[in-house]
Amino acid sequence: MGEKKLSFEDVQVGDEAPVITHTLTRTDLVKYAGASGDFNPMHHDEVAAQAAGQPSVFGHGMFSMGLLGTALTDFVGVGNITRYKVRFARQTWPDEVLSSKIVVTGKREEDGRKLVDLTVTLSNGDGEDKLVGEATAALP
Amino acid sequence: MADDAASQEDVLKSIIGQPTGKSKVIVERAPVEHFADALLSTSPIYHNPEAARQAGFANIPAPPTWPFAMEFSGKFAEMQPTDAPPGNPLFTAMGPLMAKGGLILHGEQEFLYHRPVQVGDVLIGEGSITDAYQKESKGRTMTFICSETNWRDETTGEPVVTARFNLIHRS
Repeated sequence: MGEKKLSFEDVQVGDEAPVITHTLTRTDLVKYAGASGDFNPMHHDEVAAQAAGQPSVFGHGMFSMGLLGTALTDFVGVGNITRYKVRFARQTWPDEVLSSKIVVTGKREEDGRKLVDLTVTLSNGDGEDKLVGEATAALP
Repeated sequence: MADDAASQEDVLKSIIGQPTGKSKVIVERAPVEHFADALLSTSPIYHNPEAARQAGFANIPAPPTWPFAMEFSGKFAEMQPTDAPPGNPLFTAMGPLMAKGGLILHGEQEFLYHRPVQVGDVLIGEGSITDAYQKESKGRTMTFICSETNWRDETTGEPVVTARFNLIHRS
C-alpha cells in the first residue's frame, strides 16, 4: 500500500534503507511542539531548560522516533509498518547531525503475510546512539 | 525511610491493571498534515487525498507516531465517553515522586498497527497500567510504569493501533 512499491522479493537480509541525515534546529522542536501538542518547556524554552540545569533545550524523544519513522516509511512504504518499537537512549541537542540507520534483519511469512524485520537506529555525528529499536513491515 | 519505600512499593503494586482512561478522538486532515511536515516527511500521501488513494488508502493516512499525539489532538471535550474512569493512576504514582524532585524520562515506546490510522477515523482508546516497579541503579531509585492503550474504530469496533508507553522516574 506504500508509495514506494518495495516488494518482499526485492528485500534481502542485510539490506539498508536510504539514510536520512538532519541537523537538529530549535525551529524543528518548536514545530514539533505545535504539531504534537507537547509543550514541555524543556523542548522550546531555553531559559527554563537552563534554569533546570540543562545546557540548552533538547529534543522531544517522540520527535526522534517520528523522524526515524519517516526514514522507515520512506523505505517500506506508508501504511506497511505493523510494529515499531524504540528505546530512548540519549537526549538530542540542537546542532547535532542526526542520521538514521535501518537494516533488514529477517524475512518470514506468517498467517499469509510477508513480513520483514528491521533494526532501527538514530545516532549523532559522533556515532552516539539516541534511539535504538526494531520494526516489522508487511510487504506486497 | 524504609516505611516510605515500602508504601511506594505498595502503591506501585496497587496500580497494576488499573485503567488509565478512556477517550474518543477524531483524526483530522490539518493536524495530520502539520505533524507529517514537522517530521520532515516529503511524501505527497500526507498532503494530497488523490496521492493517498493511488497508494491504496481510503483517505490520507497518519504518520506512524501520530497515535502518541492523539492524546493531545482531536480529543474534544463534549464527545468524551461518560463512562471514562476518573483520574489516572500513572499520575497518582508519579505525583508524590515528582514532589520529591528527580526527573521523568520516556523510556520506551511501541506501536502495534492493526490497520493504518486515517483522516476521518473516529477512534476509541482504552488504557491500563501493565506493569509498575522500582529498581536501584547507581545509587538512584528508578521507578518504571508501563501502560498500554488500545485504539479501536468506533463504527466497526475493529482494533486499529495498540500503543505501549514506558515512563521512568529517576530520583
